[in-house]
Amino acid sequence: MQVTTENKNGSLVIVTEGRVDGSNAPEFQEALKDAIKEGEQKVILDFERLSYISSAGLRVILMFAKQLRRENIAFSACSLIASVKDIFAISGFDKIIPIHESQKEAMAALG
Amino acid sequence: MNKNPYKILVVDDEPDLQPLMLQRMRRSIRAGKYVFVFAGNGVEALERLREQQDIDMVVSDINMPQMDGLTLLDQIAQLDPNIRSVIVSAYGDMKNIRTAMNRGAFDFITKPIDFDDLRITIDRTLKHMARWREALTSRDQLVTLQHELDIARKMQRAILPTEFPNKPGYRIFGDMEPARNVGGDFFDVIPLEHGRVGLAIADVSDKGVPAALFMMSSRTLLKGAAIGSSEPGDALREVNDMLCEKNESMMFVTLLYGIYDPASGKLTYANAGHNSPIVVHPDKSCDMLPLTDGIAIGVMPDLEYRQKTITLSPGDTLTFYTDGVTEAMNQNEEVLGEERLFEILKGASSKEPEEITRAIFEGIKTFVGDAPQSDDITCMTIYRAEN
Repeated sequence: MQVTTENKNGSLVIVTEGRVDGSNAPEFQEALKDAIKEGEQKVILDFERLSYISSAGLRVILMFAKQLRRENIAFSACSLIASVKDIFAISGFDKIIPIHESQKEAMAALG
Repeated sequence: MNKNPYKILVVDDEPDLQPLMLQRMRRSIRAGKYVFVFAGNGVEALERLREQQDIDMVVSDINMPQMDGLTLLDQIAQLDPNIRSVIVSAYGDMKNIRTAMNRGAFDFITKPIDFDDLRITIDRTLKHMARWREALTSRDQLVTLQHELDIARKMQRAILPTEFPNKPGYRIFGDMEPARNVGGDFFDVIPLEHGRVGLAIADVSDKGVPAALFMMSSRTLLKGAAIGSSEPGDALREVNDMLCEKNESMMFVTLLYGIYDPASGKLTYANAGHNSPIVVHPDKSCDMLPLTDGIAIGVMPDLEYRQKTITLSPGDTLTFYTDGVTEAMNQNEEVLGEERLFEILKGASSKEPEEITRAIFEGIKTFVGDAPQSDDITCMTIYRAEN
């Protein structure tokens, strides 16, 4: 699992690569937390290269979403591969986290 | 170093050494770093060690009357393997130095004693010992924790059903294999009014002790809600609202709960984010139960859970499972997957739920091989008997 960030058109894009499961969920949590700097307004979680996420990983995303909402930071996720999309759909998380097909769509949605 | 002063036993048959040592080490003694105890040979040294159990390390000569330093090393190892020894030998006496090291000496210095070197050697030895003691302490804590986890595991297993309905019209069986000592999965079989039976399967996010605690409370809440409501959707809504209160840790549980009516073969269920159970028909075709779009429990309050109803025909089996089954991974990092699970279910030698459960665990074992188990594995099957 690897988390990298870049700034694109006023949005912070957080790219997660590889597998997120119970064994590395705490690192994932730290990485997301560290990615957010003061004054951030828009955050996009790019999951194009996320190959698998377990419920422990979903929980981290849930906590992250809660933190962003509290700090009034707009966010969405994008570019989920089919199997990860299924995981979001089955758990019902696709109803809580806004999900878009591509980074471009996510940016457009965040305005 | 966390302990002051350290107590050092110096063993030498030369009476001059004692005043010399006290004089050369006076600063460290005055600073409260070391305290010295002296013995003239190995026998005396052992007496000191028995009298004063707070001695941390030994600095010993080799050639001494009554008991030499090499024999003393063996005796110390038996008395207290955690005491570290430094041997003082004649310069170039490699043979004795090798013997001493092989008998467990931590280090050696040579005669005539260079006191600066001795000080460095003592500090290094004590530093090593402090770390060693820390390691021992954490090992002991780990053993205690392990013991507590074993108790938690037993408690958790004890709340899972062990007796299952075995009626002419239907049979139920299930089992769980936790990944770590305590898991976050559970299943339940709840007898309800009018001969109906509640069936639940659940998977808490994450593993270990916090997940197990969350699992215990989810399971207790569900049991209460199940007995109080005749609709699965109502039961899930109640559990969700209860668990959302004070859920600071943002744990959640995927939970599928259904009520089976043996008279009609109908199963009405609601699903909070759990994966779909599988129906295997007598002709070996497989269906997955349609999802009901529910969100996992504990995420947000005031959710409604939609219900669906299916009818089990005589000869159908319905298998509930957690993703520990379909996401069991082998050494090539391939997951078991739904297709392989279908094959396992179809290949079971009978439709009896106990046999199907056995076949699933066996099938996972064969597929996974020596790869470590990373998730709890839980499954439960209901079989509607052919007349």
